[in-house]
Amino acid sequence: MELEAIIRDCLDGNEGAWHMLVDLYAKKIFNMAYQFAGSVPEAEDLTQDIFLKLHHALPKYDFGKNFTAWFLTLAKNALIDEYRRTKWEKKQRDEFDDRFYAAASATTGLAADDPERGLAEEETRRILWAGLNALPPDMRLAIILKEIQGKKYEEVADILGLPVGTVKSRINRGRLQLAKILKDRKESAHDAL
Amino acid sequence: MTPCERIEGLLASYVDGELGPDEKALVEAHLAACLECAALAACLKSADAALAAFPDIQPAPALMQKLRAVPAPRRRFRLSFDALLRPSLQPVFAVATILAVGFSLYMASPDKKRIDQAINRQIHLGYSAFEKLTARAGALTDSLGAAADNLFVSLGKINPLGKTDASDR
Repeated sequence: MELEAIIRDCLDGNEGAWHMLVDLYAKKIFNMAYQFAGSVPEAEDLTQDIFLKLHHALPKYDFGKNFTAWFLTLAKNALIDEYRRTKWEKKQRDEFDDRFYAAASATTGLAADDPERGLAEEETRRILWAGLNALPPDMRLAIILKEIQGKKYEEVADILGLPVGTVKSRINRGRLQLAKILKDRKESAHDAL
Repeated sequence: MTPCERIEGLLASYVDGELGPDEKALVEAHLAACLECAALAACLKSADAALAAFPDIQPAPALMQKLRAVPAPRRRFRLSFDALLRPSLQPVFAVATILAVGFSLYMASPDKKRIDQAINRQIHLGYSAFEKLTARAGALTDSLGAAADNLFVSLGKINPLGKTDASDR
């Protein structure tokens, strides 16, 4: 079934169509929220909140527009609003949970072949995961969409509602900031040895 | 801007292979000479690779079940009624209730006229007491001013060194 038909069925109150829409986007939204908030329980609450907002906003959806970009913009607004409302005073992000390790070893498969390299990559991932908290929310979301979720600059610009040039410079500044964090942490670890 | 800062600004585009030949040569020459910037470039590449390899995780089945439940439609009236039931508004409602009960007792009282007269009397008494108080305060200010003037005159006449002025002779 095509996405447009699913949305129309959702608007007609078809429960099965809503299930299909949830199945299509739940993983994407949950991971976006998890990478932004850094905690599984918070990401679960945020995902529920975002789907609730989607359900209420669906009648306003313009069928001429790209649904994924529209929905991700709605999710982005919900995440930024929540960040500004609560300030997320928490300074540290949660440790990765088991599901993360399982998914990481399934995608890279390096730990089994070369344990030393696997450990180094895990350490880099940990530093970057913590480093995401040092980025302002707008920059963090841009990095998540482009660098982690692999979207194109144009798609990120569409979701964030910004010109491509602005998005590009924001992402490049964010990447550089993360690289500096990584460099500092690696140097201090090296000095400690 | 130092050369390192200038190169930092180009580093992301360099790693992405988006620089023109001149800028690329400039960055490469700097990286060959500057260990700090070379290390930063290596970390940038490493961070890009690590971010790209961040895995997506599956949402928990319990979350999926909650998401699949179709949300109830919004009911504006209920929401506004809920807002009125906030615990923070309870003291306001308590005060409003006491005032409303007092006012209805006053309106229904057979001695309403006497109560009105008593209230008027109290208002007049209060007003005259206030006037007396202001008059007393005025008198007090005057006497304090006079005392201060006297003090200044007395101080002016005192000559602690016992010197005599030419005009006194």
